[in-house]
This record gives sequence, structure tokens and C-alpha cells, in this order.
Amino acid sequence: MTDADASKPRRRMSPRQKRYWTSLGLAAVIGGVVGGWMVADQADAPHSAATLFSGALTPGFAIGASLAWAIGLAICMIIYHRAIDDHEERAWLWASMAGWYAFIFPAPVWWVLHRAGMAPPVDAMILFVFSLVANCIVYLWLKFR
Amino acid sequence: MNNKLKVLRAMRNWSQAELADRLDVSRQAVNAIETGKYDPSLPLAFKLARLFDMPIEEIFDDGHEGNDND
Repeated sequence: MTDADASKPRRRMSPRQKRYWTSLGLAAVIGGVVGGWMVADQADAPHSAATLFSGALTPGFAIGASLAWAIGLAICMIIYHRAIDDHEERAWLWASMAGWYAFIFPAPVWWVLHRAGMAPPVDAMILFVFSLVANCIVYLWLKFR
Repeated sequence: MNNKLKVLRAMRNWSQAELADRLDVSRQAVNAIETGKYDPSLPLAFKLARLFDMPIEEIFDDGHEGNDND
């Protein structure tokens, strides 16, 4: 081993990196478990995308998935925010802002249009997905461009 | 903001990943700073200055001539 080799840092994960990948891994596991559980919960229903996303769910799944989402997300976010570096924090903050704007611009418009009989009732999940997509696009652009 | 990070890194024959390890940030962060797409926070700028043993203003250039306080 040369002096130059000896001076190189070992490519083991730092505590920050370990926290980072733990938070992402935990989020993936929770998402996988909840997603798989949701599919299993509707195993008897006709198989279609419409059924999967808007079919009836059992109370057991609804309570379990809600707890997994709320508690799991809180734990993952605490670990994640303790692990990210400056650059990712900036990407996260701007992405959060984009997601917020993607909610506050269409939500009142849709609401008043519905009250005037010009649009169907406000669908919270459509707004949620729209906000999430805006969040993801800005995050990925700032993080990886 | 312009900076000499790429040159300083090349002088030490470090990859972006190696510099990122030394700073405990992601490789994307190093790349973004080098390409001028992201200005680091003050703590990270100080970390860079300590790593390269140089004053911050020798690594980063905000394009402002002189050093007056007007």
C-alpha cells in the first residue's frame, strides 16, 4: 500500500449515510407492506385499477395503514432530516414549496367551480397526487440535474 | 458564484465521490457546487476551507472587486 492509498478515506458509510439509507429503506419497507396489504385486502374484489384505487377497504386495513403511514412517515422524516446534507435539504425545501403551490392553486379553484355546479366534488387524493408529483419533479431536478 | 473546487480537487487527484466522503456530503452536492448550480452553506464552506487549508475567499469568488465595507 502506498502513502497515497493510505491517506485515502475508507469507503465505508458514514453515520450520516447510514441514517440516510435507513430512512429511505424504512420508507420503502413501509410502502411495500402497506401496498401489498392493500392488494391483499381487496383480493376478493374484481381486479381493475379503478377497484384498487377506489374500492371498499376493510376497517382493519384502514386503521392499520393509517397508523403505518402516520407513524412510519414521522419516524422516517425525523431520521431523514437528521441525515441529509445542505444540497439535499435545499432540494427538499424547494420541492416542498412546489408541492404546496400545486395544492393551494388548484384546490380553491376546484372548490368554487364545484359550488357553482361546474365541476365534480373536490377529490382530495387527486390533489394529493398532483402535489406529490410536483414535489418529486422539483426534488429530482434539483438533486440530480 | 464561481469557485476553484474542481481545480483544487484535481490537484489532489480526488474523485467527486472521494471529496464528498471527506466532507460527509453526497457526490451530487460536490458536483452541484463545482458546476455552480448550488452555493454551499457557510458551515460547508468553512469545512471546505479547512479541508483545503485555504481561506474561503480563495476558494469562492462572488465577483465583487475589492474589500470595502461601503
